This record gives sequence, structure tokens and C-alpha cells, in this order.
Amino acid sequence: MSRRLRRSLQLAATTALVVTAATGCNAAAKKDGSDSAGGGSGKTFTLVTPDAVGQNEFLKLAVSGIEDAAKRHDGSQKVYESTDAASQQQNVQAAVDAEPDVVVLVGFEFADLVAQQAEKHPKQQFLIVDACTTKTYKNVSCAVFREHEGVFLAGAEAGLLSESGKVGAVDVLDTPQFRRYSDPFAAGAKKVAGKTETSTRFVGGQSPFDDSARAKEQANTLLAKGYDQIMAAAAAGNYGVFEAAKAKGAFAYGVDVNQCLSAPGTVVDNVIKRTDVAVEKGIEAVLAGKTGTTVSYGLKEGGISLTGLEDGVDSSKCVIAEHKDVLKQVEALRDQIVAGKLTVDDPAAS
Amino acid sequence: MFLDSDLLLSALRALTPILLAALGGAICERAGVFNIGLEGMMLMGCFTAVTTSWFTGSAWLGVLAAALAAAAYSLILAVGAVTLRGDAVVLGVAMNLLAVGLTGFLLRTVFGVQGTFDDPSLAGLPLVGGFTPLTYLSWAAVGVAAVLLSRHVWGLRLRGVGEAPDAAATLGVSPVGYKYGAILVSGVLCGLAGAQLALGNVTLFTENMTAGRGWIAVVAVMLGRAAPVGVLLAALLFGLAEAAGFRLQGLGLPQQATDAAPYVVTLGALFLTTARRRRRTRPSGAAT
Repeated sequence: MSRRLRRSLQLAATTALVVTAATGCNAAAKKDGSDSAGGGSGKTFTLVTPDAVGQNEFLKLAVSGIEDAAKRHDGSQKVYESTDAASQQQNVQAAVDAEPDVVVLVGFEFADLVAQQAEKHPKQQFLIVDACTTKTYKNVSCAVFREHEGVFLAGAEAGLLSESGKVGAVDVLDTPQFRRYSDPFAAGAKKVAGKTETSTRFVGGQSPFDDSARAKEQANTLLAKGYDQIMAAAAAGNYGVFEAAKAKGAFAYGVDVNQCLSAPGTVVDNVIKRTDVAVEKGIEAVLAGKTGTTVSYGLKEGGISLTGLEDGVDSSKCVIAEHKDVLKQVEALRDQIVAGKLTVDDPAAS
Repeated sequence: MFLDSDLLLSALRALTPILLAALGGAICERAGVFNIGLEGMMLMGCFTAVTTSWFTGSAWLGVLAAALAAAAYSLILAVGAVTLRGDAVVLGVAMNLLAVGLTGFLLRTVFGVQGTFDDPSLAGLPLVGGFTPLTYLSWAAVGVAAVLLSRHVWGLRLRGVGEAPDAAATLGVSPVGYKYGAILVSGVLCGLAGAQLALGNVTLFTENMTAGRGWIAVVAVMLGRAAPVGVLLAALLFGLAEAAGFRLQGLGLPQQATDAAPYVVTLGALFLTTARRRRRTRPSGAAT
């Protein structure tokens, strides 16, 4: 109930802001971040983030992606960091006003904002990463991820490492999109160890994304039955899953960024999204004239990976760093998927 | 298979924060203040507990600070509803909304992170016999509240203030004083509930981490008819239904159905208790 109220308040606030912007009373948007002094004749790119970049690896990668793109085109980049719904709106407006070659936005928060702007500014090119507008626009390109491929590999690790032969997942909600984090985990474990028992628990409840105590209890129900490898795909609830696994001496798997730092010795590996790859390749596609399309990034494109398969695994504090033999087998599986010899079922495919 | 040893433990862990908050709500209810700000007060408790534990390294100081902070926060309701005679429901809703925004803002300013603050070195509450000391305290609080409300002169006066404030005032009992007292006690209990959630059930802070537990506590107050033991039973019913719901998922029931378990049980209990009450009151109704 409180969440619904909060949402409608946010909606009201956003609507009010949109109205203000339309009547031309919008105050100057805050411009955070770096202006790089690149070559004058080069391209210009602007990145808008939904949150402060800070220690958020997901966003830090997006920043390095746009920096690399600017370097390659001898151009310059700007990064506008938002802090809330209001500043997101202002930053998108400011980015459009500056008329760069490409406006890059990371996160589902921007889908609706971009749809409005894309109609008003048909000549401005937009690139949305990790989301897409519901309608297709000629000047909006999207980069989405095939998370299920990475989750499959994490499941294979779990299948190889499990001592009890039982691997489970704690997922947010029972919807096709979220099942991308649980079904392939089971499939991956069964691929390498056919007799593995698998089970998924969904956090659910009134606020499934924030309820770490509930996620912890869901993990406990799996641990009580002897499951010793748990995929944590419960948003903020992941920390609850890690606590539960740690208390029972079991192991967990994180998502999006390196979560091994939250519980060293408990988190085995993470399914990470390489936003830098998606940003850089997305910009290339837009500049090459391939606009208005949705491109998905998986293992093949390097858009999805595991912490264990990236450089710096030895300093990642991930458990997988101690299991080089397992990593070898997982690498072989990855190569099969990349070569197209092995396909991972996508629960969200209609 | 279904009734594994962990079921009861899981239910009791889920029970503690709800029970502490519901006890606070029940005391307010008895004093004639309908307190639906439990969720917000609990969330303030969560945040203060984690912040204090982090900076002092002591979970117990976190518990103490949580109780004090939530009590201070409850003054909004006390001043607004008792002194200024505002609507307690409106104030409660406002307190819940404010707490979500305020803790989210403070999380950003104090820790510089968004969403969740989590650190392996954050000190949580110790476990004694599988539960935190606050769990045992919550059970003791049920007994103390039950005895005070029914046997002690404070309880008698508190109930008098709630049921007939004018009559109480004529007898020299200050309704304002007792209502303030009840609200502050509910603040302390909600602060403890928040500390239990953020340093006991888990050891971290997430924005909006109370996730509706304060609202369940409000329902437990109504279902238990604001009697401490009744509230305990109602909250226990919730805890058991939720823990059983988790296990039903393991049997293959869809999450959307198992999510409904606590609410189905509540509706059933509500129906049964009102039906019994009506049967009991019918003869006297016919005589008049």
C-alpha cells in the first residue's frame, strides 16, 4: 500500500515537472561529471545515468564505454549523473538541448522519457542500454542483454561445485523476464551433472525488490533441504540470500556486478552485464546508420559474462578463483554457446 | 517433507518484528489513538539501528538508538493527534511516507550509497539459542503488557482514557498524558522492531526494508482486538502462514498463490471470530 502511494506521488511529481518543462520554466539542469577536451572536429556523446555513478560498477562500466567511444572517434563525451526522477528528467532535457551525435541512457527509468523526447526531436539519435521503448522510433536504438546465457554458465559452475547435488535459485517474481535468472541456472547445472535436483523460490510479497529479510527466509527454506548452491537474483534481497548461505556454509551467485565483495568466501561468481561493451558497440551501430533497431548482447558479443571469466578474477574475492578446473569446463561451455553449438532456452521468449 | 524443523524457526523469526510493532499499536489503540504509523516508525528504527551500530561498532547501542529515534519520531503523531487534535490516520500515512523518503535521503548523505547499505563488518545482534535477545524480550513484553493493561492501575487508567476520556478527566486522570505515554511506548517498541529486522533478521539496511510489516502489525492489532495475547496469536498466525507459504512454493504451487497465504488465513480467522462473536451476542440482542 505504501509503495503504491509512493509510486503515485512520484508519478505526480514527474507529471508536474513535465508540465513545467513544457511551459519553458525549467531551471537549468545540473551538469555533473566530466567534460573531456577531445578533438574539436570529432563526435560528441552524452551519457545520462539514472543514479550517481559512485561505486556502482554497472554505471562505471557505462562511463568507460562512452569514454572509449569518444577516444575512438577523436571526439568528446559528457556524463550527466542523475540522483532522482526529477533530475533524470532534467538531465535528459539538458542532453537533448546540447544536440550531441548520440544521447546514451542506461536503465529502464529512461524508456518513457526517451519516447517523449524522440518524438519531439526526430533528428536526435538516442541509445538506450538495458531497456527499450515500447514503441519503435527511427531515432531510438536499444541494447538489451541475454542474461540467461550467463546464468546458464553460473548454473554449470553450481552443478560442478555442489556436494549435495541440489542447486536452487531465489528469484524476485514469477514472471518470464525474471525466470531468466532461475530456469537457465537449473538447466546449466543439469547440463554438467544430470542428476542435480533443482528448485526455485520467488520472494514475492508486498515489495519483492526491497525485502531482504523475506529473501533470506526463502533462501533458508532451500538450505534446510540441503541445497548448497544458490543463485541470488532477488535485487536488494541478494544480501539476505548471502547472509543465509554464509550462516549455513553454503554458496551463492550474484548478478550484474561483482557481489563477491559483500560476502567473501560465500559468493562463488556473478553474472555481469558489460555495459561498456553495449555502449561502445551501440554507438558504432548508430554512427554506421543502423538506427531504430534493438540489438541483444550475450556471451558472443561480450555483453554478458561471469566475473570468473574476466580479467582480475584472482583479485575479485570470488570463490571461483580457487576452482580453475571448474572454470576450464565453463569456458568450454561458453565457447560452445558462442559458436552456436549450444543454445540456452530463453524463458522470456514469446 | 513439508514440516521441516526450520518451519517453526522461520515463523518465529518472521514474528518478532511484527509482534513488537503490533504491541505498540495495541497500546495506542487501548488509549484511543489509532496508530497506523507503525511502518514508518519501524523503518526509522531500522535506519538508526544500522547507522549507530556501524559508527559505534556496537549492535546494542544501535538497539538503544533505534528505540530513542523511533520514540522521537512518534512525537509527530503525539503532538499532531493529541495536542493539535489532527486526524491520526492522515498523520500515520504521512509518517510512513516521510520515513521512506527521509531514510532514503539519509542513506545517500550518510553512506553515499543508494538502495542498500551492507558491509561484512557491520555488527549484528548475537544469537542466544537460535534467536536474538530481542525475540525473548518481545515474548516478555507480551506478558508485561497483558498484566499492566488488565491488572495495574496504569492499564485501568489507560483504558479509561481510551474509552471515555471525559470521564477519565473528571476523575483527575490526564488523557493527554496517557495518550502521549502510549504513543511514546509504541515508538520505543517499533524502534526495537526495526532494530530486530535490520540487525537481527538480516544485518543491513535497504530502502523500504520494512516491506509492509508495519501494516501487517496494524491488522494484527485489529484481529487480536488490541489485547496483547490476542495480538501475539494473530501475529503468530501471520508468521506461520507466511513460512508455510514459502514451503508451498517448494511443492510446486505458483508464487502468486502462496503469496496470498497470510491474507487467506487472516480472512478465515476474521470470519471465524466475528461469526462466533455474533452467535454469542445474538440472544441478548433478541431480548432488547
